[in-house]
This record gives sequence, structure tokens and C-alpha cells, in this order.
Amino acid sequence: MRKRITQILALTMILSLVCVFLVACGSSSGSDASGGSGDGITIFNSKMEIQDQMLQMAEKYTAETGVPVEVYYSSDTVSAHLATRYASNNPYTLSMVDAKDVYSLAEDHALDLSDQQWVNDTTHAISVDGKVYGFPVCVEARGLIYNADAIEAITGKPFVPSDYATLDSFKELIETLKAGGMKSPTGVMKEDWSLAAHFLAQVYEEREDPDAFVRALSADTTKLIDDAKFNSLMDTFDVLMNNSYSKASAISAEREVTEQKLAEGEIAFLFGGNWDWSVISAYDYTEHLGMMPVPQNTDDGSNGKLVGGGSKYFFIDSSSNTSDQQKQQAKDFLNWLVYNQEGQSFLVNDCALVPAFSNITLAVSDPLGASVKSYVDSDALIGNYNYLPDDHYAILGAQFQKYLAGKDDREGFAKQVQTYWKTKTLTAHS
Amino acid sequence: MERNTMSYKARQFLMFAGPALILFCMVIIIPFVYGLYLTFTSWDGVSATKPFVGLANYVSAFKDYYFWSSIGRTLIYSAFAVVFVNIVAFVLAYLVTSGVKGQNFFRAGFFIPNLIGGIVLGYVWKFVFNRAFVAVGEAITAGAVPSLLSTTGGAMFCLILVSVWQYAGYMMLIYVAGFMSVPDSLKEAAMIDGCTPGQAMRNVTIPLMRSSFVTCLFLSITRCFMVYDVNLSLTKGEPFNSSVLAAMHVYNKAFIYKDYGTGQAEALILFIVCAIIGITQVYVGKKGEVSA
Repeated sequence: MRKRITQILALTMILSLVCVFLVACGSSSGSDASGGSGDGITIFNSKMEIQDQMLQMAEKYTAETGVPVEVYYSSDTVSAHLATRYASNNPYTLSMVDAKDVYSLAEDHALDLSDQQWVNDTTHAISVDGKVYGFPVCVEARGLIYNADAIEAITGKPFVPSDYATLDSFKELIETLKAGGMKSPTGVMKEDWSLAAHFLAQVYEEREDPDAFVRALSADTTKLIDDAKFNSLMDTFDVLMNNSYSKASAISAEREVTEQKLAEGEIAFLFGGNWDWSVISAYDYTEHLGMMPVPQNTDDGSNGKLVGGGSKYFFIDSSSNTSDQQKQQAKDFLNWLVYNQEGQSFLVNDCALVPAFSNITLAVSDPLGASVKSYVDSDALIGNYNYLPDDHYAILGAQFQKYLAGKDDREGFAKQVQTYWKTKTLTAHS
Repeated sequence: MERNTMSYKARQFLMFAGPALILFCMVIIIPFVYGLYLTFTSWDGVSATKPFVGLANYVSAFKDYYFWSSIGRTLIYSAFAVVFVNIVAFVLAYLVTSGVKGQNFFRAGFFIPNLIGGIVLGYVWKFVFNRAFVAVGEAITAGAVPSLLSTTGGAMFCLILVSVWQYAGYMMLIYVAGFMSVPDSLKEAAMIDGCTPGQAMRNVTIPLMRSSFVTCLFLSITRCFMVYDVNLSLTKGEPFNSSVLAAMHVYNKAFIYKDYGTGQAEALILFIVCAIIGITQVYVGKKGEVSA
């Protein structure tokens, strides 16, 4: 009798274990109930610096509209994180992703948003095959960040960025600064994304047809070392590099230290973007910071423009895991961001983002964002090239670091870039 | 009740090993087989279809220059790290079992690095290499001193140093257990027969500790081959991707460069390499084991 009971007990234990597993694995596909009973939206946020604001906003939004909003964040690679959610049939209603991800995800997973009103108020939305899938969260741009206070303290006259659009005038300014006591007026970030994805990418972007140029590189029909744009940008890079505070140990310069020096006026120039504000603002920054185009000796007008465009995009899940009601609620939320005063204020004031919509007129609070906004408003923005292969920044970033460390010369670096592109077979894109 | 019937045995087995077996299948076997299947597809991780591509992923894995150079680097790293971890651990274990004052305190002290997570430890050492050492160097030479982490050889050296520092304490514990398991009577007998302490160590103690060596070597080799956390937080592959070890390359390939199929195939190759090295090493080690 006792044995019988033990056996029954053991069997129930095993069965319950199996059940737990089956339930755990199958729940999301088994019923929509676990996804929040088809009501309320889940948002995936991939901008770490605005996570607190997102959480507060979600609470307020729910209180106001009665729509439950849950915000999630993950430090994983965006695509890897979304892959796990899709693998478990439990996708977010709204996911914030990078431009590249929209292109790879749209066809299978994103809802067509072409009929939305905001499409007409932005030039930064992402469309694939003529259908709009990506809602631009903000505009971000690259250029030279300057500390005007530090410059004016030495030159004694107001700093007007457009006076230093050419490399020659910029060099003169650097010499003046050095003569005035600023030992090394620039900083260079050694991060591979900054070097390859941001600086090197300008070589492709600052021309009429970036796509044709990249294809020519890949087909090996153009020589990078003879390219005027490559040389003009590298000339500027040399000036930044040779006057950098970390010249002796460029490869171990830490981003935080560099940005702190810029914030406090120890250096005056740093190549970066308005996203750097989240780092700079952590330090005791002086008031007059801003962004200017990368100085170049060129007459193609690119030294009067920042490079950038939409950054981070929302897309709405189109699968059956998201109910029609949820899809509508997600669309309403996007409209709230663009057309409701509170939504606009959330984007611009709370998150300090540069809005991608022309109907939003609120002034951007952070100085770098304000600079970017002024370039956006005067239409002086060169668009991003969103089709670089995923390993571009890592492989060529490493090569660029070699150049930065003085282990390679310009010719060798150009050759490495050329070799990299030769191994790439480019696919067609719209 | 019959105790030697098949069904009785099966029931007994399921009762005791069943839960563990199910768990093991769920979290190890099934994902492994599924992963194996994925190496034959060009799935990108999110799309609805998983196109079958045959052996194409393995072909591109074998052609991937960066993968093989990362494997080569891992071999070098493991060779140095395993040797030094075990030498240091053995010496430490000898010292803390030789009866020095406060040896329990020293045992705990040497073990502590192992309790710090790899990520934290990497960041702590990064600070030491990039700031502390540089500051000391500049104070001594009165000139700019580049950080060790910014040179290609230096970064690998730092990785090995930190790994030795981290694992030596753990391996030390195993060696300590080995030392304690050798009866004093044997050592004394050897000394009475005319052995010097060195000879007693070489001919009596070490052969009897063989199982400790096998365990330590196995643990340190597998750990070194699969190292990722310290690699990520200490060097992140820099400078110039010259310190990217195999596990990091596989992760980057799959999740950063978004080449899931090839990454998965490379992961499998790495697994096979590790399995072969681990099994050979245990087999050779066990074969010559002696017992008192």
C-alpha cells in the first residue's frame, strides 16, 4: 500500500513537471489571453537614456486615456531581443528599432502605416516597397561638437561656426587656440562605431549618389585613395587626430573622459552627434555648446551641412498575436506623440529629442539638439546611408583604429576599406 | 512485487532520475538539436520562414578568416592561461597547506577573486590598467605612457593575467583538497626511506594527486576556451579586434553582424573543438591514475 502511494506521488510529480513545461512553452501560442487579453499596448524601448521618461509617460498616458501601457527595455542587441520575443510568439505591440531593423523586419512583421496622418508631416519615415512601416522617433545628426565658451575665452571674440567651414580656416583657429594656451584643442573618440559608422560613412554619404559609389567600391571600379571626398575628410581627420589631447594613447582614450574634457572646456572640438548630450550633461558643462559641420576644403556645400536623419523607429506588430484593438491603440499612441501637446512635450521637453515632425514647433532644450534642429529647419542635413552591411562598423572600425594609432597610413587604410567592400555582394534594395 | 521486471526498473528510474532527465532534455538536448538544425538554414532569427541551405553555413564558416584567427588566438590564450593558472594554483595550495600562520585566512583571500563576476572583474581591471598603471608609469618616467590595453600584445597579456588571477584561487581549492587527501604516513615513510622533501613531493604526493590535476586541467581548459565575460568587459576585442576570442567572435557573427546561420555553425565547430580537447585530456589523465 505504502509503495503504491509513493508511486502515485512520483507519477504526479513527473506529470506536473511536464505540465508546467508545456504550459510555459505553449502559453503564448495557446491563447491570446496571456498577452493582456487583447487590450492595452506593450512598448519596447531601445533608447536607454529615455527609459525613466518612458515609464512616467506610460503612467500618465494610462491615467489620461485608460489604455494600459507597459514599457520594456533591454540592453541586448535590438534584433536579437526582438527575435526571442517573436520566437515565443509574444511580440511587443510597438517596438522601437534602428532603421536597419525596419528594413529587415517590415515585410514579415510590421503593420502598413501609409494611411496615417503623420506620414505627411515628416520626411523621415521609412517605407519599403512604397508602404510606410517606420515611425521616426527623433532626428539625430553628426558633426563637430564645439565648446564656444572655451574658444571665446582665448580668441576674445564671438565664435561663429560658419567662419570655420574650410579646413584652412579651421586649422588657423586651432593654431590660435594652441598659441592661447589650450595645449590640445581636439578630442577623437576611438570607438569603432564613431570612427567607421559615423566618420567613415560620411565618405559615402556626402555625395550625389551614395549607393552608386558603394556599388562601385564593391565592384572595384573606383579607387578610394584617389577619391576627393575620402581625401578631404581624411585631411580633416588628420587635423583632429594630430591636435588631440590623447594623441599619445589615442586607442585607450575613454569616451567619458573625452566628453568630460569637452564639457568642461579643456578641449574645444570633438566629432560626435547630438546623442552625446546624454554623456556631456552628466558633467559640469559650460553653457555654450553646439554642433557644426565637419570643416573641409571643398566647394560641394557639404561643409555647411550636418549628416543625419531619422533615428530610432517605431513599428507596430502585424501578427495575429496583436489584436485589432491593440493595433488601433498603438496607432492612437503614435498620433498622440505627434499631435497631442502632452505627447509633443514628452518628446521634446522630457526626452530632449529633436522631433522628426514639421508640425512640432517646441524649442529643443539641449544645446546640441538645438543646433541640429536649426540645421533641420534650414534643410541643411545630408541623409544617412542606411544600407551598410552589419559588420562594416566592426571590421573597418578596427582598421580605422589602426590608422588612429599610427599603425597604418592613409593608403593602407584605403586599401583595407577597398578589400572589405570587394568581399561584399550587395543585394538590391528599394 | 517483482523487483527485477523491466517495468519496475523503468518506474524506479523515472521516479528518481525522471525530473532531472526531463529538465536536461528541455534545456540542453532539445535546444542543441534545434540549434543543429538551424545551422542548415539561413534563418535571420525573426522571419517566418527558415530557408534550407544545406552545408552553405559550414562552407562560409570554414572560409571565415576572422573565425579561424580568433580560434588561433584562443589556443594561445588558453595555453598560457591554463599553464599559469595551474602553476600558480599549485604553488598557492602548497603554501596554504604547509602550515603557515593564518592559512585559512589566506585560502579565503586567494579564493575571493573567483567570487567576483567576470564582467565586474573586467571593468575593475580595465580601470587598473588604463588609469592606475598609466598614472604610476607617468609618475616614474615623467612622460606619456600608453596603456597596456592599447597594444595588441598587451591586451592579450592583460587577458591572461586577469584570468590567472581569477581562476587560480578556485583551482587552488581543488589542489588543497588533493594535498589533504595524501596521507602523511606515506610521506613520512618516503622520508624515512631516504627521500628528500623534493623527491617525496615528486614521487609520492604528486602522483597521488593526479585526479586533482585532471580535474583542474579539465576545468581550466574548458573555461578558457569558452571565456566571454572577461573578454567583453576588459578588452571588448580591442585594439583593432586583435583580442577577439572564439566565443566573442561567434556571438558577434550571429548577433552583431546578423549572420545567424554562419554564427551558429561556428558555435558548433567551437563546441566540437572543445569537446575533443576536453575528452582527450580527461581520457589521457584518467588512464595513468594511481590510488594509494
